[in-house]
Amino acid sequence: MTKPVQLYCWHFMSYPYLPADFDQRYETGWVTVPNRLWDAERSRGLYREYIDQLAYADEIGFDGMVLNEHHQNIYGLMPSPNLIAAALSQKTKRGKIVILGNLLPLHLNPLRMAEEYAMLDNMSDGRLIAGFAPGSGPETFNYDVPSAPSREQFWEAVDLIHRAWTEDGPFAWEGRHYPLRYVNPWPRPTQQPHPPVWIPSSRSTETLVNIAKRGYCYFLSSRSHGSETAKSQAQFAKILEDQGSRFDPFRMGILMSAHVGETDAQAQDEAKEGVWYFLKNCLKGHLRREGRMLTAGPGIPYIPPSEFRSYLKFSDPSAPMLGDAEDWSDLQRAQSIIVGGPDTVYRRISDIIEHAKCGHLLIQFHMGNMPDALVRRSMSLFVQEVAPRLREHSAKLFGAHFPEMERSAEMAQ
Amino acid sequence: MLEVRGRKVTLIEQGRGEPLVYLHGFADVHGVAGEFQPFHLRLGTAARVIAPAHPGCAQSDELGYGYGIDDVIFHYLEVFDALGLESFDLVGHCVGGWIAAELAVRYPERVRRLGLIGACGLFVPGAPIGDVFMHSQPERGVQLTSLRRLLFAHESAPAGLRFFASARGDIEEEMRRYQMLRFGSFIGFKPPYFYNRVLRGRLYRAAMPAAVIWGAMDRMVPCAHGDAYVAGLPGAEDLTLIAGAGHAAPLEQPDATADALLHFLSATSDIGKRVSNG
Repeated sequence: MTKPVQLYCWHFMSYPYLPADFDQRYETGWVTVPNRLWDAERSRGLYREYIDQLAYADEIGFDGMVLNEHHQNIYGLMPSPNLIAAALSQKTKRGKIVILGNLLPLHLNPLRMAEEYAMLDNMSDGRLIAGFAPGSGPETFNYDVPSAPSREQFWEAVDLIHRAWTEDGPFAWEGRHYPLRYVNPWPRPTQQPHPPVWIPSSRSTETLVNIAKRGYCYFLSSRSHGSETAKSQAQFAKILEDQGSRFDPFRMGILMSAHVGETDAQAQDEAKEGVWYFLKNCLKGHLRREGRMLTAGPGIPYIPPSEFRSYLKFSDPSAPMLGDAEDWSDLQRAQSIIVGGPDTVYRRISDIIEHAKCGHLLIQFHMGNMPDALVRRSMSLFVQEVAPRLREHSAKLFGAHFPEMERSAEMAQ
Repeated sequence: MLEVRGRKVTLIEQGRGEPLVYLHGFADVHGVAGEFQPFHLRLGTAARVIAPAHPGCAQSDELGYGYGIDDVIFHYLEVFDALGLESFDLVGHCVGGWIAAELAVRYPERVRRLGLIGACGLFVPGAPIGDVFMHSQPERGVQLTSLRRLLFAHESAPAGLRFFASARGDIEEEMRRYQMLRFGSFIGFKPPYFYNRVLRGRLYRAAMPAAVIWGAMDRMVPCAHGDAYVAGLPGAEDLTLIAGAGHAAPLEQPDATADALLHFLSATSDIGKRVSNG
């Protein structure tokens, strides 16, 4: 049978103890959100709770766990996802550990990333999926990383890491940003020739071409799904074809959030507080009009002027973003946070798979300040009631659309 | 339009007389305005004002990825050579003032007289240059209130409302602003933040007559930077403050700013000639 969709549990590790009037009193949850709001006493055990939720995901049958890097914000408390990955490597045995990703231009030297990822690959017995991201939104301000040269810097770092993993050292790297006389990392990765590489992007053609030609997996970083998601898939497939290659579902991943309850009404009722905490607090400064959005715009000039011109032409600055959703029907339109009973969640996710034809589904279950028991019950219902149907349906779908994938799987057997 | 080493350089000129090269800033011609404003036109009554757009700004080509302030200095040497300008008056505002100061300390023989208006470029402890990038990110999707507060005397300054309106603007104007920020990101984002820490110790090299002019309410480049230029430039006498203006003095108080500069040019005309005649 064709390989079914791979289901991952994504944890952002948001800060759950904000005051109830946070949205009224603070203009952003990012970069300048005052860190005196951190409650050291209540936060004891917080990382353990979050790490245990991910280990639970592994235990009950998710295909992997997903982490990412953020700085100075309430949305994601992982300035170093590699530390969490190290903990997971010892606590779990089965699932992939996806880091999506290390923000390369923020780090002094990409060789350190090559080394840490190689360590994690060894520590997890070859379960690492290595994500790299340029981090040119709010992170520009976190670490004073200049936006304009960041893309060039990013691809140089990616290529350096790739070569450090695949070519025998020591060799000299004569890059503009990271010249190195001796590249010779120990350890080398467990997975050969190298761990799978995933790179997040919205829909920049330049980035997609770069991902495609290196054989990497494209992770669509958009927070809403619909016709745009299908367009991104088609765009990436076309780029692969132009390069003489071919799209298959496991060259692409997408992100969404889900909460599964016994029924639609019950799911909405129990998820409401966490979902709205996430939308109004965590997304303030990221995907909300209110306050100052730092995700894209003229103050983060990392895209070439020609791309910015089309951004101006096709974007509407008054259009609501995900965090502007006021009720469940607004949320439903964004097709990104799916809340309901098992049937609803299955139907809506399988719709997205049918449109996007992508094989990696990265799903956030913990939203905002959701209590541990609730998150675990939702994950468990998902694995029991939703995942089997998604796997069955997607395997048929992929088999029908990508027959050559099935043939190559047979040959491999 | 000029071409140097295969790169296009947008360049506009106005007026007659001795050549005066004007290097622009953010809230300025090329930085946001597509043409000369009243301030530049007034300068044109006494000099031949030549205003190139920085690399990547207006229709000027970018210098390629990963360039910095030194590349910009070399770029301008090419521009001056292509224009046949041996020795000339050099005036810069904001980032343009920084570039002018860098040129003046390196090539003092080419700069007859130096004019700096709200110039960045110096490291002044305790008086950081404002974060034009953060404030260029609109609030509530389109509001540029805090950017106007940074660049102008107050958030409802007419020139601020004209060029930094709280609404999706004319696409060409938005593009000019974007390209200017991108130029700024290349040369001045990474600490040092629009300054070169060693420039202050080099100012002694620029001994030509110098005018240092500042919007009295500059919040982008605090007046302490003006004081530091006056202290470091041997040919500078006093800091001239423009009342009622913030950082964008040339846009906000065009007459007073131009008059301060014209007064300096006429008061130093003998020195200027002596220098140019060797």
